[in-house]
Amino acid sequence: MKTPQSHEHPKGQLADTSRRSFLKTSLGGALFLGTVSVTAGLSGCATAPAGRISAVGSRMNASYQFQFLSKDDIALFEALLPAMFAGALPEEPNQRQFAIAAIIERIDQGIAKFGPPNQKELRKLFDLLNFAPTRVTLARVWSDWPSVSTREADAFLNRWRSRRIGLLNNGYIALSKISNVAFYGYENHWHLSGYPGPPAWMVDSLPQFHNV
Amino acid sequence: MSMNDPIARGLASGWNVTDASKLIANKTVEADVVVIGTGAGGGTTAEILARQGLSVILVEEGRLYYQKDFKMDELTSYANLYQEGMSRTTADGAIAILQGRCVGGSTTVNWTSSFRTPDETLTYWSQTFGLDGLQPDAMAPWFQGREERHTMAPWQTDPNLNNDILRQGCDALGYSWQVIPRNVKGCWNSGYCGVGCPTNAKQGALLTTIPGALDHKAQMFHGLRADRLVMNQDRIDHLLASAMGPDGVTPSGVTVTLKASHFVVAASAIGSPGLLLRSGLPDPYQRVGKRSFIHPVNATVARMPAKVNPFYGAPQSIYSDEFNFKYGTDGQVGYKLEVPPLHPAMAAGVVPGHGQQQRDNLGQLPWMQSVIALLRDGFHPESPGGTVSLRDDGSPVLDYPITDYLWNGIREAYLNMAEIQFAAGAEAVQAVHLDSDWYTSWNQAKAAINELPMKPHRARLFTAHQMGGCSMGSNPEDSVVNGFGEHHHIANLSIHDASIFPTSIGANPQLSVYALAARNSTRLAQKLTLPG
Repeated sequence: MKTPQSHEHPKGQLADTSRRSFLKTSLGGALFLGTVSVTAGLSGCATAPAGRISAVGSRMNASYQFQFLSKDDIALFEALLPAMFAGALPEEPNQRQFAIAAIIERIDQGIAKFGPPNQKELRKLFDLLNFAPTRVTLARVWSDWPSVSTREADAFLNRWRSRRIGLLNNGYIALSKISNVAFYGYENHWHLSGYPGPPAWMVDSLPQFHNV
Repeated sequence: MSMNDPIARGLASGWNVTDASKLIANKTVEADVVVIGTGAGGGTTAEILARQGLSVILVEEGRLYYQKDFKMDELTSYANLYQEGMSRTTADGAIAILQGRCVGGSTTVNWTSSFRTPDETLTYWSQTFGLDGLQPDAMAPWFQGREERHTMAPWQTDPNLNNDILRQGCDALGYSWQVIPRNVKGCWNSGYCGVGCPTNAKQGALLTTIPGALDHKAQMFHGLRADRLVMNQDRIDHLLASAMGPDGVTPSGVTVTLKASHFVVAASAIGSPGLLLRSGLPDPYQRVGKRSFIHPVNATVARMPAKVNPFYGAPQSIYSDEFNFKYGTDGQVGYKLEVPPLHPAMAAGVVPGHGQQQRDNLGQLPWMQSVIALLRDGFHPESPGGTVSLRDDGSPVLDYPITDYLWNGIREAYLNMAEIQFAAGAEAVQAVHLDSDWYTSWNQAKAAINELPMKPHRARLFTAHQMGGCSMGSNPEDSVVNGFGEHHHIANLSIHDASIFPTSIGANPQLSVYALAARNSTRLAQKLTLPG
């Protein structure tokens, strides 16, 4: 996996052959990611859920208990989200930091319901991005995430989106999907998509909005 | 909670419903029949058996959510009502799987489209799999019975603009279109079917067969995962099940043993083969988990000159079968054309992107329209389907390779959908594909779509219909159950869900599941209530 091989195969090749080569790459990828997770754990990467984080400095809601994301994962998203939501986040630095912290909490809430198998897959992905040797070789991101600029984060996302390597595209889809859903699906951001929300006349007349 | 809500009223009246997360000690329970799963198949089965006086226990891994919980919010609904918090995909991550995980199963979150199994499909089954009893004439009364039970009828209200654009485009091009039958009673036409019907209009299992079963003394455990069917000699002796904790996904450590004289598995086309594989049940020809079908779905989005508001109004009311059986039942792949609702989280998750571009794309959501194609997989030798297997932790996963035969259909569907959207007046159309731009004319779209790479992870693919994996057929060498859902090798085991379909359906499958489960449960009830 040092030189990742494409899943692609020439059009018209026997389905059998492509299937085999696909399995090989996919399996190679899985084994490789497995190794990263173990190594990352041994080398002191934070892989345990971050739990409660002090509100001072982090702008996190001190009452929120992280269930899945580790401190390193949070740093990763703090670097990625300004690129992920360029043009959609508040400009004012304090508000911006609060907004990013709130999205990360909702990402954590979403992942908490993914269940163990997909959580394991995400753990591999995040470890790969947080573990310096794989961050450099696979993501081509040279510095630690806290030092990564929005421009560099955007370039990374574009690389993983455009390279014709299924494993990287899959990583891009995973990162963008969990972020996009948590961001655009959240009531405070509905205005960005011009969604007025549930019709007021329904909210007014349905019992579930009135009885506690 | 309002006592107009049938679930709240039933619970208050003493329904035998147990939230397994509240159990603090292991227990053993016993009934005539244990039904695993509470979706279209399990609900139907439980109601029919309970009405015949049999004692029934329903087992549901998801939790019981009902009107009080349905607040038209995407984030909480996707997290709580869908498999793996809406993050389920095929093994390689290339196809997103939308599937319910709650009491009522996918019928609690589906978009209410209610089609009979197409005659072509039933005829193909009888010719190819020896399923003569399922020919269209024989099935007609079962479809009719279920249409009445679930209040299914063609949608009488005008379609919302999202759906009407499919109609307009088809009209302009001379393609056929029809109005979709829906299972609703007093529908408010609001558009929130996919997040749990807020008004109790949807007549899914949650508001029909589940209450019907509970009214007839059935017992239901929710938040209880079926782990393993355990045999004693040649019969299933009991089911071992694990209670989930309050979060609904982490086992609490409490187990329940369920004993019965008959077991009905209705845990979905991914869950049912998974349970059979975990249980190590006899499978001499290695058929369990094979021939899994998904109606692979691809999509295009259009920017329309007028506001579409694709988040409001009955989500699906118009369809086109122009291309479904165009090349015969088993020729070049056919597909049904429909429309998806687009709420912000759904749209943001489906349309891949980030940054300013994504913000601009989603900024035009009110003007956005989308068409989807549902490919009819499983009818051609080059569409053998996928395989359900077990991960190391015992959970099921679907591997679904996309053959060139299917890719050809996916490309053709992109073309048809774009052409339809331009014919209906679209300003621009984009294929939901990582390499697609916005195209501003049909000619430009046509040229560009013909060059798009048809590759996993580039084309964004979805499935909302999981079928097969425990195929029915007359020959035990290539099937798991017979035409009545009876297991070929175990006398007291039946399977009553979409997993028994030997191909995909070629239409949204809920009515196919309801009707087959009703037919097979009626027969099962007769067998189990025979004197002596």
